[in-house]
Amino acid sequence: MTETSTTIDVCPAAELPAGATRIVEADGRKIGVFNCDGALHAIEDRCSHDDGPLAEGPFDPDSCTVECPRHGSLFDLRTGRPRTLPAYLPVETFSVRIEDDTIKLEVS
Amino acid sequence: MATPEIAIARPDQLEGIKDSYEYGFHDSETDYAFKAKKGLNRAVVEEISDHKDEPQWMRDFRLKALEHFEARPMPKWAGGHMDGIDFQNIHYFVRASEKQGRTWDEVPDDIKNTFDKLGIPEAERKYLAGVGAQYESEVVYHQIREDLEKQGVIFKDMDTGLREHEDLVREYFSTVIPANDNKLAALNSAVWSGGSFVYVPPGVHVEMPLQAYFRINTENMGQFERTLIIADEGSFVHYIEGCTAPTYTTDSLHSAVVEIVCKPGSRVRYTTIQNWSHNVYNLVTKRAVAHERATMEWIDGNLGSKLTMKYPSIYLMGEHAHGEILSIAFAGNGQHQDAGGKCVHIAPNTTSTITSKSISKDGGRASYRGLLEVAPGATGSKSKVVCDALLLDEESRSDTYPTIRIGEDDVDVGHEATVSKIGEEQLFYLMSRGLTEEEASGMIVGGFIEPFTRELPMEYAVEMNRLIELQMEGSIG
Repeated sequence: MTETSTTIDVCPAAELPAGATRIVEADGRKIGVFNCDGALHAIEDRCSHDDGPLAEGPFDPDSCTVECPRHGSLFDLRTGRPRTLPAYLPVETFSVRIEDDTIKLEVS
Repeated sequence: MATPEIAIARPDQLEGIKDSYEYGFHDSETDYAFKAKKGLNRAVVEEISDHKDEPQWMRDFRLKALEHFEARPMPKWAGGHMDGIDFQNIHYFVRASEKQGRTWDEVPDDIKNTFDKLGIPEAERKYLAGVGAQYESEVVYHQIREDLEKQGVIFKDMDTGLREHEDLVREYFSTVIPANDNKLAALNSAVWSGGSFVYVPPGVHVEMPLQAYFRINTENMGQFERTLIIADEGSFVHYIEGCTAPTYTTDSLHSAVVEIVCKPGSRVRYTTIQNWSHNVYNLVTKRAVAHERATMEWIDGNLGSKLTMKYPSIYLMGEHAHGEILSIAFAGNGQHQDAGGKCVHIAPNTTSTITSKSISKDGGRASYRGLLEVAPGATGSKSKVVCDALLLDEESRSDTYPTIRIGEDDVDVGHEATVSKIGEEQLFYLMSRGLTEEEASGMIVGGFIEPFTRELPMEYAVEMNRLIELQMEGSIG
């Protein structure tokens, strides 16, 4: 079986500078896109601990982490893995790139 | 053979309890170095940080935690039991002594006398590898055996641990229990003071226990110690904590956070004998992570306090990790012991046991609240949960709130629960052997909690049995 993926335009690259974040909707899912000092990362907006929202939590571009606003688990945006409890399962990550000055997100 | 009918002992046989709490005395506060005004706000948190001359990251951590505490409502699942706490009627930081003693002679006389009455210096001489004694907000005495220090074992109070081992503390602090984990963890994170910092190097076995003792003296006191234990690969340590407080007509609050990291192949045993006076709210968050082949054991005894809400947890992160929780709770008149434990199986072939024993008498209420979770992928995991409750009269209450979540098919999970009463036939049998009714009841209770006492070092088992006897004293009319 071949997985199909959809590419979504997030926003012009200039609108997501270093340290900025944006939440987009794709295929009925919310996805957080983060700019960690020039490197773009995207994770699902769902904490693996209790399925609450994740991407609007405090974002630290220096350590490239986001903190779950509900119970404080710290997620590594590069891998989707939690660095602290109470979450222990990783969240889904997505490929994100800049093409023609536009941030593009690939959702499978 | 027919099962004998178990009748309940008559209420008039069991009613009444003597005020048997022997640690309800308090000392003078005239020589205290500092006592913060009652109440919680940003200035109080900054004042605590100033007193401790902390690094900026810890100060920022505290202030952020205060925001979390203020933003969070009281947990709904607590059923309103915590609503009686007035967070603005508490002293959040009290420094009894300017200096920490390395010998008991360096501790102020009043405080030393109190710890003498509690038997701590004597216990240290006889069978402990190290002792930390916290009085109010800070540790007033700390000592570890020289040979362990030479092997690289670190046993400090948490404030000293942060000053002397900042990198190690920063690497693990709040990774097991984040500040925003729950409302009380946020409170502790904002105002923490004292507690223990323990590091055991790879392969080192600390054969004799380390002990911490926590004493509240002031009325309307809040004690918020913070403990972090890191057992490196293949190491072993047994940490014991005890606590008491004076009896006042107004309430105090004890809200600790305990984080434990068991690295591969290590074993940590954490024993608690909680004996707060009956005016203390005891709301504690304790959690451990066990990596591959590591073993974590919580041996948790709750005798005192007005309300205890405490559920030691173990996250089994590595293959063949093992978790053990043994919890006993004794709820007497006016007490509510809401205890239990949580085991989360994350890696394959992990094993756990949760054993909960509760005794309720004179209208006391004991609850078991627990979680057993098996994550997807944790194949071959095994767990057994056993909850036994003993009700000593008609007025007392026992509740069980078990949660079991299984995300994997290939597991072996069991849950057993019993509620029993002391029967007249049991009493008659023992009394026909020459015991008084009080002795017979005490023996039945002693037998009921034997799985707990047999896990304690002998001196503590003797003390535990004595405390149970005191609780039982006067229970036969």
